[in-house]
Amino acid sequence: MSNTGHIDRRGLMIGAAVSATAMSLGPASGPALADDYPTRAITVINPFPPGGAADVVARPFASVVETIVKQPMVIETKAGAAGAVGAQFAANARPDGYTLLMHIVSISGFAEVDRLFGRKPKFTRDDFIPIARLIADPCVLVVNDQQPYKTLQEFMDDARKRPNALIFSSSGLYGALHLPMALFLKAAGLQVRHLPTAGGGPAVTALIGNNSQALVSSIAAASGQMKAGRVRPLACFGATRAASLPDVPTMKELGFDIEYYLWVGLFAPKGTPDAVVTKLRDVTRETVRTDAFEKAMKNIGQDVAYLDQAEFKTFWDADARRIEDAVRSIGKVEG
Amino acid sequence: MEATIDSLLLGFSVALRPDVLLYAFVGCLVGTLVGMLPGIGPLAGISILLPVTFGLDATKAIVMLAGIYYGSQYGGSTTSILMRIPGEAASVMTCIDGYAMTRRGRGGAALCIAAVGSFVAGTFGVIMLTLVAPPLGAFALRFGPPEFTALLVLGLVFLAYMSATSLVRTLLMASVGLMLGMIGIDVMTGHFRWAFDIPELGDGIGIVPVAVGLFGLGEILSTPSRTVTTAVVAPRFRELLPSRAEWREAAAPIGRGSVLGFLVGIIPGSAHIISSFLSYALERRLSKTPEAFGHGAVAGVAGPESANNAASTGAFVPMLALGLPTGPVTAVLMAALLIHGIPPGPQLVTEHPNVFWGFVASMYVGNLMLLALNLPLVGLFVSVLRIPYAYLYPLIVMFCIVGVYEVNHSIVDVWIMLAMGVVGWLLRKFDFDPAPLVLGLVIAPILEMSLRQSLVMSNGHWTIFVQRPIAAVLLALCAVLLALSAASLLRRRRDWRARLAAEEAGEQA
Amino acid sequence: MTLRRDTVAGAVFVAIAGLLWWLSDDLPVGSLAMPGAGMMPMIAIGLIALFGLVLLFRGAASPPITAGHWSDADHALRVIVATALAAFLYTRLGVLITMTLLLFGLVGLVERRRLVAAALFGLGVAAVTWFVFGTLLKAPLPSGSFWT
Repeated sequence: MSNTGHIDRRGLMIGAAVSATAMSLGPASGPALADDYPTRAITVINPFPPGGAADVVARPFASVVETIVKQPMVIETKAGAAGAVGAQFAANARPDGYTLLMHIVSISGFAEVDRLFGRKPKFTRDDFIPIARLIADPCVLVVNDQQPYKTLQEFMDDARKRPNALIFSSSGLYGALHLPMALFLKAAGLQVRHLPTAGGGPAVTALIGNNSQALVSSIAAASGQMKAGRVRPLACFGATRAASLPDVPTMKELGFDIEYYLWVGLFAPKGTPDAVVTKLRDVTRETVRTDAFEKAMKNIGQDVAYLDQAEFKTFWDADARRIEDAVRSIGKVEG
Repeated sequence: MEATIDSLLLGFSVALRPDVLLYAFVGCLVGTLVGMLPGIGPLAGISILLPVTFGLDATKAIVMLAGIYYGSQYGGSTTSILMRIPGEAASVMTCIDGYAMTRRGRGGAALCIAAVGSFVAGTFGVIMLTLVAPPLGAFALRFGPPEFTALLVLGLVFLAYMSATSLVRTLLMASVGLMLGMIGIDVMTGHFRWAFDIPELGDGIGIVPVAVGLFGLGEILSTPSRTVTTAVVAPRFRELLPSRAEWREAAAPIGRGSVLGFLVGIIPGSAHIISSFLSYALERRLSKTPEAFGHGAVAGVAGPESANNAASTGAFVPMLALGLPTGPVTAVLMAALLIHGIPPGPQLVTEHPNVFWGFVASMYVGNLMLLALNLPLVGLFVSVLRIPYAYLYPLIVMFCIVGVYEVNHSIVDVWIMLAMGVVGWLLRKFDFDPAPLVLGLVIAPILEMSLRQSLVMSNGHWTIFVQRPIAAVLLALCAVLLALSAASLLRRRRDWRARLAAEEAGEQA
Repeated sequence: MTLRRDTVAGAVFVAIAGLLWWLSDDLPVGSLAMPGAGMMPMIAIGLIALFGLVLLFRGAASPPITAGHWSDADHALRVIVATALAAFLYTRLGVLITMTLLLFGLVGLVERRRLVAAALFGLGVAAVTWFVFGTLLKAPLPSGSFWT
């Protein structure tokens, strides 16, 4: 669920083309007046395959926004390169508020990975204006039920005794589930082998099948398996203990200064007019407070963790530093 | 068992309410419609139509989703059979013999057999799902990367039965497919391979644009309108139904395809995608007339179509029993269920019995609805071929562009489709068969990944493939199959393959 | 000397393999125990070269390439050009205009049917497509970046 996900629709966009044809230089082709925004359908880019973390948030979000702005909000899937294709598309889109991006925590890492390989980053964090954070699920380190570890300490002792013997799975190299494990392994000075898979689902599958022994997952994605007793949570990556896992200590309690959330946020391309951004913030604030949106988030096992632009910006800056650090600590993989 | 039947009856009591049936019908209808766009299979179909289910209560939404799922799958078979456009990777094998049947005027028969085969396989899959999901789920978990690698190697061994061309040509095409499958970011190390700075190539070349280009567009490019005589392909109504002989030919492949597809489908990790290829190769291996394959063999439609359908149902086993999405389609279906407030997982049966059994019952209903919807429509579908070719092929080109673009909203995919259309046309000029190429493309990324994952797990020791029992058995099977063909080669028995090669070399020479 | 089918095909595939080999010298091959990003591509390239060479050497027995074999080239070229134009315009002008033009071009200009019929056919089909998929089923079709 973490690294993949999404779907889309966009039907009425065509209406703009039709009116433009009919009226030649109708209002749709003039500069968008920020006061009237939005006068036509808004497109939200989902950079992951259908069903992924950004998708399951974006769809209910869009259906509520539509009722508020009285214009369609269409979700367009542009999956590829672990979310880089959609992000790049949004970064280069016309900054008029009609193309937005719903992305997850991993948006901060792409530029750093490009630098690692000596490539020129195709986009950086500066290409986006953060609008709001919608959810933030702290991650949790889990081991499968065939492992004896009851605490993080036992896991660390064994990993230290047998360096490079244990295996952890992830959603993919430099992916959203690889980074927190890398942060932890670096802080604890452990050597555990990495088994990259093709996404959040396969990563959990590898763990349950005991092809890997440990995994960092979002709480929502692992909750079913935790309830069934197939995986055991050892430590949480939140600042405080998670309400759903009151007995699981945080990394901070255990002496590691690590925080990691699988968050989903809304972004606009750089250069979007201030008035449009303000309007989007207002709409988002109104949306996240509706019962419909809260219920939809409950359905996918999330609480709304809304942050408005200013707080989100602060949070994102701190988060990006952690991500970049994690990417550097992974470094280039041999082979 | 009795409890299961009671629960299932509970499910049916929900799924058979008239208003719920209406949604099943609507789901099948729009699913079939969208599925006819080339490239739009169940994955894109569900994601595009998910918003349509918003605002419905959970039961109706699920029933409708099941209908969309089956409908979009079947829609792809229709275009494969009638126009040689594979809607998705799984339909590639249907294209070959299905379209050949259409050219012989048996398009209606092929559609009927595909519909019935899908229905039988789908229903078999759901019955198995109802009865044995939990133990099968546990078994599926034993398929880790080493087992998966061995399974794919087995698939490659069957490659020799894929194509109606000589072995060198088949292997060459498969190698080209392997090469195309390497394009993109290497998942294990993050290196870009042959991506030429085009980010859309990061995840590799999509199977859909390649298949649609090679088969659909390639066919159009090599068919100038002056060579087409419409009368040949438009059959009379009586000829729409399969003959008694055709039913007999189809029965065993449908049965085998259902079992094989279901078994392959429950394995986590996109294995369902190779089920139709495996089934095609198996049918050809078992057939008394292997040379008929590629020229409209009924078994070449019945087997792969059933296998494909059973495999997609099999993929629900890990999803419902373990809460694990085993492929993109189950992932999007899981997300759709989540959005409607139903978390699939180990607790689903106990916590939401009515939802679980409603879902299972709706799959029975969806299958039946699809059959009821599509059999009467076969005549209508086939009459599409009565459209004069000068109008029909522009229409197909348009739908190819729209469909391929719609999968990922990527114009790069449309360009890939066009390039592959040109390649497909050229390949045909030089008597190459594109089917092994598609198989190579499908297998390459997953084979490479599971092989390297296995080596990560074993820390570089290849012995992992013989230490794990399932992998060892599968590899032993490969060895036996190879030994058998080597033996027949040594005995210089001229089998159908040798005859083909001789024919190929001798023709026009 | 006559060009023979398999000689030409084999030579082309060997050339492709050579080109790819040259393109991928920056990929680390790794070791057998830990294959790198370049290992599988090298194997694929090697196989293409191998089978290409087999075709090349057996080519003398294959049928010669004749002009008659390429009689459909003019049709293919026109369809390729039309499709390429449509792909170029699709995201720029949107589905309605592009597809009307594509259908009109193929039916009216390439197939030389009556221009009025071709225009009506193009417009009608594009409009129905847009209505059914774009509006009824809410599938996001491109509206054209040129207009907005």
